[in-house]
Amino acid sequence: MNNETKKKLNERYERELNRGERFWPDTIFKDVIVSIGIFTLLIILATFVGVSPEPKADPSDTSYIPRPEWYFLFLFKFLALYGQIPLLGKIEWIATVLVPGIAIGVLTLLPFIEKNPNRYYGKRVLPISIMAIMVVGIVLLTLLSDVPTVSADGSTLLGTLQAISGLVIPGLAMVLLFLMSFVFKTTTRLMVWTTVLAAVSMILISGTVLALAPAPEVAETEVPTTLVDQIVAGQDLYSVHCTECHGDDGSVAVIEGVEGLEGEKITPINSRDVLYTITDSAMSEVIAYGRPNAGMTPFGKAYGGELSKSEIDYMIVFMRYMWDDRFEAPKLKPLFPALAEGEVPSYNVHIQPIVKRYCVSCHREGKTNNNYLMTSYEEILTTGDNVANNIIAGDENSYLLQVIQEHPIMNPEKPDEELIRVMPLNRTLKPNIVDVFIRWIMNGMPQTAEEAATLSTTPTPAVTPTP
Amino acid sequence: MWKKIYEWLDERLGLNAMYTNLLDRPEPRGNWWNTLGSASLFLFVLQGLTGIFLTVYYTPSPDHAYDSITYIMEGVAFGWLIRGIHHWGATLMVVVVFIHMLRVFVTASFKYPRELTWLIGIGLFLTTLGMGFTGYLLPWNQRAFWATTVGTQIAGTAPLVGEFILKALRGGPDLSALTLQRFFSGHIWMLPAALAGLIGVHLYLIIRHGESYYPNKED
Ligand code: HEC
Ligand code: HEC
Ligand code: HEM
Repeated sequence: MNNETKKKLNERYERELNRGERFWPDTIFKDVIVSIGIFTLLIILATFVGVSPEPKADPSDTSYIPRPEWYFLFLFKFLALYGQIPLLGKIEWIATVLVPGIAIGVLTLLPFIEKNPNRYYGKRVLPISIMAIMVVGIVLLTLLSDVPTVSADGSTLLGTLQAISGLVIPGLAMVLLFLMSFVFKTTTRLMVWTTVLAAVSMILISGTVLALAPAPEVAETEVPTTLVDQIVAGQDLYSVHCTECHGDDGSVAVIEGVEGLEGEKITPINSRDVLYTITDSAMSEVIAYGRPNAGMTPFGKAYGGELSKSEIDYMIVFMRYMWDDRFEAPKLKPLFPALAEGEVPSYNVHIQPIVKRYCVSCHREGKTNNNYLMTSYEEILTTGDNVANNIIAGDENSYLLQVIQEHPIMNPEKPDEELIRVMPLNRTLKPNIVDVFIRWIMNGMPQTAEEAATLSTTPTPAVTPTP
Repeated sequence: MWKKIYEWLDERLGLNAMYTNLLDRPEPRGNWWNTLGSASLFLFVLQGLTGIFLTVYYTPSPDHAYDSITYIMEGVAFGWLIRGIHHWGATLMVVVVFIHMLRVFVTASFKYPRELTWLIGIGLFLTTLGMGFTGYLLPWNQRAFWATTVGTQIAGTAPLVGEFILKALRGGPDLSALTLQRFFSGHIWMLPAALAGLIGVHLYLIIRHGESYYPNKED
């Protein structure tokens, strides 16, 4: 740029200043308004949307699907789409380093690449078109980030469409724009149309992909954050994984009824001996690694178990607050709301928490249980070797009701052999829990609270305020 | 009385000169798009303030980072608000800085005599992204851990120097306490210091050249 042009530009700027405004108060006034707006928006977001809780980092859980901060999602998607290209797709660094590097390099050196003094957009169609295609591409790739490139049925249709709208069209459009500008020297009008056409087709194809894509599973994992929630989560986990050997309350000193460990003497884990001598981090190790020599299997994912670090932590919180006399337990809600006279319990409100606490430890995949799984409403009603007799609506001879009331079911072929022993093994249920099961089955096993309410004989009495 | 104090201060600080040089300047006719730069500045200051509050309770170690964040959210009065603002402020800052850059691009304000302002601006943009990347790991939750694992892996694919970058970022072959310490130090010391310095130069250049005007057919 020669001094002549520079002088002209500076004179032009002086003219604009003369018919302009004052920095204080005119310019600052607008700035302050926008800043106050942003601040208000942030407070609204922080209050009403908040920060969603996440479980603690677990280096052993390699099944976790990584998701970067949202403004890097487009790069992730770009990598995934690029990886689909035959041959070239194998050379990773082209997509991870070269392409972003060139983009940032061009952006950085922009003032030295676009050296002409033109500022009016009508005279800068090429750079603005390229930037527009880039921005549309970035936005679309961000929106597409959750759509897999290979669908569940192995079809690559969605992947191909995404590659077309995210890589091919923008790539071709940019090359075309350069050619139009430098080789064919077409009118700017044609270039604008090319850009609009490219952008619209990108948006349409991406829209189709989004419409076709299976709705992503929103795996809403509840993360217990308050102490009470953590204790309850810990107790549920403990009931599922530990009771068969250590008992409900950790007091078992001689293991009974566990194959291979029958009669094994152990230190009750609710004793001071254990709680006072083992620190939280050592406890976490014991549970994750187990006591393989003594017969306790590993539970941590790192050692082939199924529990994450957070889950183990919740169990420790439960053990501390319920058993360790140095901790004072907060008030916990009862497992299920007490039943009023004539009230019918439902699966969702009553049976599910009870089953989770007392039955699921044995009645889930991978345990001996006559193939009777109890982790969902459907399973409880439709699985088991004796499914025909286990649960019969309105029948008090249902096997399930018999075995939880200490009447084992005898084998019809060999009358002195127990077909189903008393449930849960080694333990008797409290009468109020047995009562819940009886009322539930006698009234036809309603699933939701609403269904149960319609079956109740007397309307649920209004909650009397506690004095 | 106030006048006396003002005069005393002015004599030593040169308040009047500051007023005429910094505030009472002519500017071309303004435009709402031109508020995005100062909005970025506002967000930077806000992130700094909320961030300083967060460091009061935050502990950068794999054993305690997660619990310290839970404590900020549950135990500290208004901790949730401070963290919420910092969390959403980070997102908003990236958006606002990006749109600020787009508007400078569209009005071609990076041309003579503002080329250097643009160069510094690119530095600001990259540093802002760096703040986002390093801050993301600090809560040490699943999302943070695995996003950073993959993020650093991507940096590690660079030919020749990839291995070195990967180890330098992680402080070893895997994510560890060292990684967290590094990211923490980068997030609260190195990058903010760089950002503050660059913003200083950026603002100096803007005051020196004045804001550009909105171009029309003549330009
Ligand atoms: C298959 C049976 C079994 C299961 C299931 C089991 N444990 Fe154990 N556990 C043992 C045995 C056996 C020992 C060794 C006890 C000893 O040496 O006194 C043990 C020891 C422990 C100890 C350490 C006691 C000490 O003195 O070192 C703790 C703590 C513990 N278990 C907790 C748990 C927790 C929590 C769970 C549930 C995730 C669990 N266990 C599940 C069998 C089991
Ligand atoms: C300690 C492990 C354990 C617990 C806890 C347990 N069960 Fe069982 N359950 C078994 C085993 C093992 C069988 C297979 C029959 C047998 O061995 O007696 C079984 C069988 C059954 C059956 C018969 C299934 C069929 O189709 O043959 C019913 C019904 C049943 N259990 C109900 C319950 C209920 C209800 C609970 C909770 C209150 C419960 N069980 C808790 C171990 C357990
Ligand atoms: C932390 C990030 C940033 C802050 C705090 C910041 C701050 C500011 C402020 C306050 C202004 C004057 C008001 C305005 O024109 O909006 C400005 C102008 C400018 N900024 Fe930034 N900026 C940042 C990032 C960037 C980026 C990423 C770029 C481009 C790569 C950039 C390039 C420019 C240019 C060239 C100007 C002069 C514009 C003109 O005179 O019209 N800035 N910046």
